[in-house]
Amino acid sequence: MIDLIIFLTLLALGYGFGRYAESRHYKSIIEREKLLRRIPAVAQKFPPVTTKPYRAELVTGSVVISVDYFKRFLSGLRNIIGGRVKAYETLLDRARREAVLRMKEQADELGADMVFNIKLETSSIFKGQKNSVGSVEVLAYGTALIP
Amino acid sequence: MDYSNPEIPEGINTSKEHPLKEFVLLSAGVLGLIFAAVLVLGILADKLAHFIPFSVEQSIATDRFSKADTSLPIEKYLNDLARRIVAAQELPEGMTVTVHYVDEDTVNAFATLGGNILMFRGLLAQLDNENALAMVLAHEVAHIKHRHPIRSAGRGVVIGLALSMVSSSLGNAMVDTVLGQAGQVTVLSFSRDHEKESDQTALDTLVKLYGHVEGATDLFQVLKKQEKISVMPEFYSSHPLTDKRLQKIAEFGSRLGNSSEKEKTQLPAGYSDWLKQKEQAGEPE
Repeated sequence: MIDLIIFLTLLALGYGFGRYAESRHYKSIIEREKLLRRIPAVAQKFPPVTTKPYRAELVTGSVVISVDYFKRFLSGLRNIIGGRVKAYETLLDRARREAVLRMKEQADELGADMVFNIKLETSSIFKGQKNSVGSVEVLAYGTALIP
Repeated sequence: MDYSNPEIPEGINTSKEHPLKEFVLLSAGVLGLIFAAVLVLGILADKLAHFIPFSVEQSIATDRFSKADTSLPIEKYLNDLARRIVAAQELPEGMTVTVHYVDEDTVNAFATLGGNILMFRGLLAQLDNENALAMVLAHEVAHIKHRHPIRSAGRGVVIGLALSMVSSSLGNAMVDTVLGQAGQVTVLSFSRDHEKESDQTALDTLVKLYGHVEGATDLFQVLKKQEKISVMPEFYSSHPLTDKRLQKIAEFGSRLGNSSEKEKTQLPAGYSDWLKQKEQAGEPE
């Protein structure tokens, strides 16, 4: 009985805090994406051909986001029957966008015009009990072109 | 070449669906499945347990239980009473009942494999008439008559095995816990059914022995006193709620509605001394 109460409490806490953190994060992401839209970040491997002299520098942005209890439980249930793990989709979407934003922020500080050859790397950095995903790290890096 | 990062509409990589909706659907589906599976397994195990001969049960239990020690007056008295109850309940041939007196404060009594019944001093000391005692004993004998111990054991093994197989292949500790709890709740519902069945048989026995069910409620008053400390919701307990059981007895009593004498039979003289004797003998001083 006590197990069940603890479990439901954790689930409710996970849901409450998780939802709150997520909506706040999305708000900030959308806002900052607008601000940094002046620096395009593209996956193209080579710099654009131009006569303007540019300095190239590596810029990186990484983020670690933890799964909340609610999402973890939801994904556990999802594991049984299969299908889109929607609970983790938002998590990774946030992590990717945040990583790119941090990379762009660095480029912005350097006064870059654009970032090319961007790459994204994802890893689960903590495996909790029985290999369930604990938190996810996304690293974004690319080459900034500074005039 | 012009480069730009245009604004991309939200919701391409994510789903707009409310997570609670997914949660409700998923958990209802998975829990429903587990309930159904445990229910089916439980019923199958229950049906098959009937085919295990009572002698097998006895051979499992012989290592754990000695023969009743009739030199103790309390154990002799309990076994004599049990014999009358066995006769009244018409237990099948070969089914034996042995009552063991346990000198502990625990307010409890239970029936286990091989027709062994354990009666604790803590409970016996709180009963003040033979009818109440007979109700307890008849309830436990009824468990044996209906073969509840072996049925529960068989079901426990089957369901436990199935759940552990599922959970070990799942690899998610949280879902594991929830599945385990769901299984347990289902198993408890079987247990409650057994208790109800035994209560009914015990009442019938009391009518056969004494002609009325007076004193049957005494046991539950004792239990109620115990429960004051903590009451579990019914779906989470092995027994039906005491109030419900009391209500059943009251209904049964009023249906019986005979005007014959409803006097409680006294316990034999020295009953309380028998309990004490063992108590003192058990102490080293």
